[in-house]
Amino acid sequence: MSEIPIYIAGMGVVSALGCGVAETLQALRDGRCGLGPLGVFATAAEAGLPVGQVAMGDDPDAALPRTHRLAGLAADQALSADPRPVDAIVLGTTTGGILVTEALLEKGAADPDAYRYHGLGTVAETLARRWGCRGPLITISTACSSGAAAIALALALLRRGMARRVLAGGADSLCRLTYFGFKSLQLVDSRGARPLDQSRRGMSVAEGAGMLLLTREAPAAGAVRLLGAGLSCDAHHATAPHPEGQGALAAMQAALADAGLAAADIDYISLHGTGTLDNDLAEARAVVSLFGERPPPLSSIKGATGHSLAASGAIEAVAAALAVTHGLAPANTGLVQVDPQLGLNPLTAPLQTPVAAVLSNSFGFGGNNAALVVGFGSARATGAPGPRPPLTIAGSACVTGAGHTQATWDAFSNGQDCMGCLADATLCQGLPPRTIRRLKRLPKLALALADQACQALPAQGMPAAVSLGTAWGALSETHDFLQRLFETRQQFPSPTDFVGSVHNAPAGQIAMHLGARGANLTTSGGDASFEQALLAADLLAADPDRPILLLGVDEAHPLLSPLLDGSVRLSPLADGGGALLLRRGGPSGPNISLMAYGFDSGPRAVHHLIERLGGSQAVRRAYGAILAGIPAAHGETACRDLATFTAACGFDGPVIDYRRYIGQFGAAPAVAAVLALRMVQVGSVPAGPAGGGQCPLNGKGVLLLGLGPHLSAVRIAQS
Amino acid sequence: MDMEQLIETLRVKIVEILNLPDVTPADIPLDGQLVGGELGIDSIDVLEMVIMIEKDYGVVIDNKELGAKVFASLRTLAAYIQEKSPRLAN
Repeated sequence: MSEIPIYIAGMGVVSALGCGVAETLQALRDGRCGLGPLGVFATAAEAGLPVGQVAMGDDPDAALPRTHRLAGLAADQALSADPRPVDAIVLGTTTGGILVTEALLEKGAADPDAYRYHGLGTVAETLARRWGCRGPLITISTACSSGAAAIALALALLRRGMARRVLAGGADSLCRLTYFGFKSLQLVDSRGARPLDQSRRGMSVAEGAGMLLLTREAPAAGAVRLLGAGLSCDAHHATAPHPEGQGALAAMQAALADAGLAAADIDYISLHGTGTLDNDLAEARAVVSLFGERPPPLSSIKGATGHSLAASGAIEAVAAALAVTHGLAPANTGLVQVDPQLGLNPLTAPLQTPVAAVLSNSFGFGGNNAALVVGFGSARATGAPGPRPPLTIAGSACVTGAGHTQATWDAFSNGQDCMGCLADATLCQGLPPRTIRRLKRLPKLALALADQACQALPAQGMPAAVSLGTAWGALSETHDFLQRLFETRQQFPSPTDFVGSVHNAPAGQIAMHLGARGANLTTSGGDASFEQALLAADLLAADPDRPILLLGVDEAHPLLSPLLDGSVRLSPLADGGGALLLRRGGPSGPNISLMAYGFDSGPRAVHHLIERLGGSQAVRRAYGAILAGIPAAHGETACRDLATFTAACGFDGPVIDYRRYIGQFGAAPAVAAVLALRMVQVGSVPAGPAGGGQCPLNGKGVLLLGLGPHLSAVRIAQS
Repeated sequence: MDMEQLIETLRVKIVEILNLPDVTPADIPLDGQLVGGELGIDSIDVLEMVIMIEKDYGVVIDNKELGAKVFASLRTLAAYIQEKSPRLAN
């Protein structure tokens, strides 16, 4: 259903085809191929694999990783015509600053400061600083659909009226992890990607960035709109698509329905078309089942750009907008002889043709699918969407060093610390051995949480969608892949580790375990990763009959965690997470709301936050306790802002620095949310953390404050 | 190394690198289906075995079609390694 029109008011693009919209358009008109030799890092093998590398000058700020720079270039272009600050940034990236991290790890660099741009969330933070964004940041990491999924979430943010101007897109640089990872999966074509060709052998790994300035106001000139978006999950396999393209079909159908269009309204399909045997076949089947045997003109541009992973969906969204404004359906570069098995006729040359609406596909590991619809739309505004019922909590679970939910609650209630890393055997009790045989720490934590939060649910109560926040992703798999890569002189890294290293692997495992075929999102924004996942869940959850599982989870890695996370360096190693099964509306009960979230700190930001909570009196009336998230690395800022908050509100209830109990790890707020839920359910703050006697809540809720560079407020209360 | 020895070595290695929880080396049949059957071995496991075979025996299996033939059963795998491996020259 088309609601408020959302416009593409600015675009930026950097890829192997060039820098900027003009160069990209010319390259697409010419049907040029941008693939070439790898120059970003050295390889031991004599014959390297062709890649899609961006021609980019030297780094003025030597510390800033290539991904951040690519994102910066595209953002500068997208905002050049209208450089006012944006209200929010939604960015897809799969590997963030890992190109720098790899080089550091290989030489054994021990200075944590050198690793400061590793986190995926730092790409959006760098953009936010440059472009003065103090609002919400969401970093999406759903492998190769990240860029498109980010644009889909930005669309939801704008439609909900939570922002008026959003910068959305994706960025990824070439790095050893993906270059050797896809090679180890035998998914790379040594001759360069030839999507849909009969003799295709795989993709070409690439880099780039695509950015859209999305607005609610119609821009002065041209009015290409983002008409709709659809997300789905195969829940089938960690890497292989569903053979019939079931998830791809679901995402395309959802995007069309969201845009209020029929298949016949689509004038051009921009295929995901990576060039791998399985992807192209599954996607073709999905296209044929939706469009019949005579689909509109279609092509994949990945034979020209290569596959720039998280950037690809955003770059292709730019290409889709160019297709509309210039009546240009790009060629399926690299294709010589189409694979007859596909039943498609891709464009072998660029086609000048009127294009009013484009369907653009992006699919990724974990069966994470996204489809976007871009085009001219009739401006049928329907006004602002009305208020929605709250997200009620239908199930929950947490894990800390103390144990599972009850053990954690017991320790916390008594004021004992729950810090540490629960033994694997205890963590995985009840999980099928075959399911977890290949999994390392993070996916085990995630599966255990999902399994317990959804225990004893009737089939119709099981989650359809998953939204998982993780500050650091799968550190064990990432570390082990790189270590073996270095040890074996780039020869024998483990494909299993590569598959497990993507940030969305745990959420993909959950989808398979629970059969959750709806949207499947992974957010990664440092200490605010859980809050970002909550925001994503809030944007996605529309239907009371389609519950969504929200998680925050992080693992402790003895080498990487202290290097990457300043808070971990100041505290014993600890990990864990929390899960909440959410339903929009439904029977009354405890519920959760993200009241405020932004990339901001300081007195002004705190007062703004209090306003968002309805003022100081409303805070005293609504909340019986505060659970304060104080990341040790940002202790000074966090404590100062907390003091400002409590003083300004005249708050005299218990204020609990929960990381003192559960430990310093990115997903600690997810554990705190589960503890807050328990307090609301029992109606009091237990004696231990309350500091003295048990403290009744008197029907009030619990406020979860996220402090540090990101400021957030989450309300957990009985309805 | 004779064929029988190679087969026994492979059985142990496969169980070990794939972390198959409920499978012992003896459970891997000589002629039964190796991939996609009851053992629970899938396409990612095949790639993990490809790496092991290249690392330990110097035998490269670099495409899906070849992989499908070689990994049909333990016997076909052992025979292929025996035939191609420079390190197993009798």
